[in-house]
Amino acid sequence: MTTATNPNRKIIKDKDFELVQAINTDQPELFHDLVKRYEQKLYNFSLRMCRNPSDAEDLVQETFLNVFRYLKDFRYETKFKNWLYRIAASTCIKKRRRSKFAPERELSLEDFIPKDEAEAQQQVPDWALMPLEKLLNEELANIIHQAILSLPDKYRLVIVLRDVEGFSTAETAHILNLSPSNVKVRLHRARLFLREKLKGYFEHGER
Amino acid sequence: MESDNQGSKHCDESHDYKHCLEMFKRLSEYLDNELDEVTCKEIEHHVKQCVPCFSCLQTLKRTVDLCKQTANKPVPRAFSEKLKELSQNMPKTTNP
Repeated sequence: MTTATNPNRKIIKDKDFELVQAINTDQPELFHDLVKRYEQKLYNFSLRMCRNPSDAEDLVQETFLNVFRYLKDFRYETKFKNWLYRIAASTCIKKRRRSKFAPERELSLEDFIPKDEAEAQQQVPDWALMPLEKLLNEELANIIHQAILSLPDKYRLVIVLRDVEGFSTAETAHILNLSPSNVKVRLHRARLFLREKLKGYFEHGER
Repeated sequence: MESDNQGSKHCDESHDYKHCLEMFKRLSEYLDNELDEVTCKEIEHHVKQCVPCFSCLQTLKRTVDLCKQTANKPVPRAFSEKLKELSQNMPKTTNP
């Protein structure tokens, strides 16, 4: 293994570049600025990954500890934010492995195919046509949050990174160390799962 | 999904059921603009003629839109303080 610097290495100078460099060079006390910059994003990511807020806090804390521990190894070859989420996702996966023994549930595409005429919608339901702002309220936000939490971990990670955090397929694949096609498969199943939950809520709920 | 008959009853007898299933598999990629132009056109053409697939596409799109709109909660003050303390107690260098 060589330690020589790759001359073709592309350095990404994103909005965190200078701060990370300063921390790594001679101002480790600036680490708190980095924490402030990302604490809310990581806290919310963790709330979506953990069922209870105290586990979410542990996950954020452990992630920042790992970020500090490995910051010197950050090569600026990706956006810092993507590297941060890579650490957060791997911390989350490791924590899950430590606390769980049961194998993870698989979502199958067959489960979501409309099976008979009763299930197939012959017209577009109201909730898909109403203006988005008319639909959004605290109750619905809670339904979506619970639906995300009820997804098996591997699907939840993908949908949270893609649809909530806004990472691209390629970025998500890099963060989770998966192939882009694997990300797409998991994302589609996760979305279909949430769609079923929302359908149920709008059909049988108060609306 | 492999079976031609599965999920096929939602369109009338003259409908190309296999096509519905093919579309169903690719709806997320379509919404994410990750398909080639020919496949996109194929999906657009199909959903114009098949109400259940159109409905499926619209509800899936709405699901994604709702996910993208989920609001972030503020960090509890006590936890933010704890993180501050944690950062201040880090070693004096990131060098191993």
